[in-house]
Amino acid sequence: MITSTPLPRLGLGLAAGLLGFLLAGTVSVAATHDLYLCGAFNNGSRVMGSKDGSSNGVFVRTAPGTFSHVGLNYPLAISATFDPRDPRVFYVACLSGVLRTLDGGATWRLVTGWDETEVKSIAVDPQEPDTVYAGLPDGLVVSRDRGKTWQRAERGLPERGKYTQVVQADRVKRGRVLIGCETGIYLTEDAAKTWRRVLATQETVDDIQQSPHDPKVWLSVTQSAGALISRDGGLTWQKIAGVPSEKALYNVAFDARNAQRLAIASWTYGLLASEDGGMTWTPRVTGLPEKSRVWRTAIDPDNGDLYVAVFGQGLFVSSDFGLTWRPGGMEGSSIQTFTFVPKSGR
Amino acid sequence: MTMKRTLLFLTFLPALWLTVAAQPASTGPMPVAAPDLLLDARRAAYLARAQETLQWYVDSIKPDNPATFNAGQIAAKLALRQDAAQVSARVVEIMKGPQSQDMFWMFPWTAISFLGRDQLTPEAKAAIRDAWRTYFPMRGDTENHWAMYYTSLYLMTELYPDDPASSWFNGKSSAENRAEARDYLLHWMDLATTIGQGEFNPTHYIGEYAIPMLYLTTWARDPEMRIRGHMKLDWIFADLAENSLDGMLRGPNARTDDTSVIQRWFALATYFNWQCFGNTAPPPGYGGFGIYFAVAAANYEVPEVIHRIATDRGHDYLQKDLKRTRRRWRYSDVLVAPVYKTNYMRRDYAVGSCQGGLIDPIQSHVWDVTWAVPDPRGVHNTMFSAHPYSSSQVMQTYFTEFPDHMIELLASQGKPSYDVPDKILGGSPFEKVFQDLDTVIALYDIPAGTRFPRINGYFSKDLVNVTEDKSGWIFAQGGNTYLAYRPLAAYHWEHLLGYKQVTSTSGYKWERVDRGEQGDKLLVSPHLKNGTIVQAASVSEFKDFAAFQAAIRALPLEFSLEPVPVVKMKSLRGQEIVFAYDAAPKVNGKKIDYSKWKLFEGPHLNAEKGSRRLAITHGRLERVLDFNTLTITDRVKPE
Repeated sequence: MITSTPLPRLGLGLAAGLLGFLLAGTVSVAATHDLYLCGAFNNGSRVMGSKDGSSNGVFVRTAPGTFSHVGLNYPLAISATFDPRDPRVFYVACLSGVLRTLDGGATWRLVTGWDETEVKSIAVDPQEPDTVYAGLPDGLVVSRDRGKTWQRAERGLPERGKYTQVVQADRVKRGRVLIGCETGIYLTEDAAKTWRRVLATQETVDDIQQSPHDPKVWLSVTQSAGALISRDGGLTWQKIAGVPSEKALYNVAFDARNAQRLAIASWTYGLLASEDGGMTWTPRVTGLPEKSRVWRTAIDPDNGDLYVAVFGQGLFVSSDFGLTWRPGGMEGSSIQTFTFVPKSGR
Repeated sequence: MTMKRTLLFLTFLPALWLTVAAQPASTGPMPVAAPDLLLDARRAAYLARAQETLQWYVDSIKPDNPATFNAGQIAAKLALRQDAAQVSARVVEIMKGPQSQDMFWMFPWTAISFLGRDQLTPEAKAAIRDAWRTYFPMRGDTENHWAMYYTSLYLMTELYPDDPASSWFNGKSSAENRAEARDYLLHWMDLATTIGQGEFNPTHYIGEYAIPMLYLTTWARDPEMRIRGHMKLDWIFADLAENSLDGMLRGPNARTDDTSVIQRWFALATYFNWQCFGNTAPPPGYGGFGIYFAVAAANYEVPEVIHRIATDRGHDYLQKDLKRTRRRWRYSDVLVAPVYKTNYMRRDYAVGSCQGGLIDPIQSHVWDVTWAVPDPRGVHNTMFSAHPYSSSQVMQTYFTEFPDHMIELLASQGKPSYDVPDKILGGSPFEKVFQDLDTVIALYDIPAGTRFPRINGYFSKDLVNVTEDKSGWIFAQGGNTYLAYRPLAAYHWEHLLGYKQVTSTSGYKWERVDRGEQGDKLLVSPHLKNGTIVQAASVSEFKDFAAFQAAIRALPLEFSLEPVPVVKMKSLRGQEIVFAYDAAPKVNGKKIDYSKWKLFEGPHLNAEKGSRRLAITHGRLERVLDFNTLTITDRVKPE
């Protein structure tokens, strides 16, 4: 395993110096999460074979607006997650497969083989954290041993139409997972032994998220079917009025502190915000460098700050839910994923 | 974004080209194909060409400019066994900096590692070896990427066979990496030898396959991988020889580019024709990647049967092949689709096509007539038409990306033509093509609302006697080839603007250049139901140009465009052809059944679908590549 810069907040038994660094870099006294990003600084570096000297891959927030590169230098890191029992165990979905660290980022291993490529999304079952799901352009693989071995788990998925953009494990029910594919949303309730379609779409489902307030409430955003809500754990879905559907929506975020606040990122529509639980939506782009090209959004579970990643322009933060924006660091980058990792347990 | 990945031919090449004044073979007189086919003469000429490439690279080093002394020059010096101490020092210096370029980094440094086994200092070897620990090259997303990535990984883990996981960038041990690389390479070879080559006949990417296979042949310790590399290299070069006209690889091409599609000589494939067969001049900078073949070229011997196929244009031949598309991740009923490819070769010209549709999202070229010229450098010796198709959803079919940024980024990454109305590169789902010998019919049925509702017919600056006949045919001559082009709907003429790269610090920028009446022309037909018919003939077949025109005019031709385009015609070769957009073509009343298409079928290359066995034939010479038994069998067939 290659030795690399450790994920600073994931290591147990931290040296005193590192602990000091962590304390000094605390984002806020009340912060209970670390924020990790998957991103790249040079869009050109995402072209195979291009010359590039920048550091890309996983970044961790060390102070407001300041991020440090950790782990491997890899331009196409797409999605990241962690083992809730042991946050030293971190998984990164990337172009080459799934990268895993067991030691807080000191060493890494590409745990998948040649047949798993361009991994779009990765999820750990919070109720059974040895089980890891990875969404692929040609389906889905599951590992039952923390990424050591992987098996295809596609029974019930169509032979064609299983391009999987997003994987989300239910945080309260073991073995229950929703995936967003090119033909809709599929559900397993037996840890990927079987799947069934719960929503049909014409084009790709780009994101699915479970409410932190009510585990039965899920939101999804799609390429051409707009935004949808499920109030029965993902079994049935209703289109959300007021969210445009002509162009793609990229991701959706809940505010863990305020159930009324929701945000959607879109290349075309910019940042769409709702402060009434999704009843009404308004664009919140004034002050952003562009009115559109919002690639991802997230809401800080510690303080409700709203983040957007503008493609190629880095992060922007709002403390008034999008009414005003300020630069949030990572200037010039494109961010693929926000991952908030609880500090508890470390 | 992950799409594109071209590189580096175009990136490397201009820098290299400017560094030295002239290339002996590229700028000198056109080579004359050697009449002497005896082994010693062919071999000596082949090695001399490799030597020329190596020396040119060595000479490109400027002592006061370290930037001119990079991996290519290091490999060249090692291959020539020159200045090991200086080379080692430069290796150490380069390895101190950040590495990049992914699999395009891997294969040069693999070559350097092997070439330098007994030349580099321990410090230099250790520096390279350590980079394989600290630098994580991405695997990429195309077959050519994976051929480079896994071949390099295989060879390096054979060179360092017992190293632990901690010593490799991906955290896998030598044994694990070697097993994975071997599994993939066998899988890829199995695909190519059963259902057809993906990224077939690429004008540039041929290097990304041929070079790795040469390295397997040269440096694999496992004799199975060594012979597999050799057999696949023979396979690739047999395909190249079969499809090249006087050293120019012409269409169709799974992948090419805006320059090569009209100046057929200007391609890395031309380097391989020059290196292997000596029947053309090499491109500038030896194609950019030529050096990486040249450093190990001595370890490969071009089989005589392939050499003869490449250089003998004494007889016309028709070859039909089965290939396959790039992987379609979504919005498609199949992961890969078959490509039915036709190649008709004559001394004066060649006609090639596949059935149309989408092969690769951005760089495919579906059909053309290309004519021979005494010196192809700077000559645009081809004719074709295309629908300029552009679609985010189709991009998503092939690329695992969100929809909105891809087209924009393509342009900034060096592919400016994808989303312009006058593009001539790329396939369209609304184009269907049928070829019978030297007649091509391309039909178009473009839904209303499609971006760029027009057909672009390419008319080269190098055509002469272009004549718009009142019959509806447009006659022209290219080299010793008469051409007849029939648009099926009204049209007008435009200048085809070129692309000129301009200085930029934020990606590839360009400006369009109008060369006026001296430049290429575009026949623009802005009609959704449309079609093109092209017929070709040798000048020697007719008394004069007028006789050719009269012959074409005399041929029965009926066509209609509603409800779908349909052509009924008799070709110059006397064939009764019926081709409708929505039906299988018929020749002399017999329906063309693509399901019976073989992997290769023709006088020179023959293989059954699924067979893993290719017979390469010229006259009485035969070489059989059998991937079932891992044997190469040569024989001289009895008279």
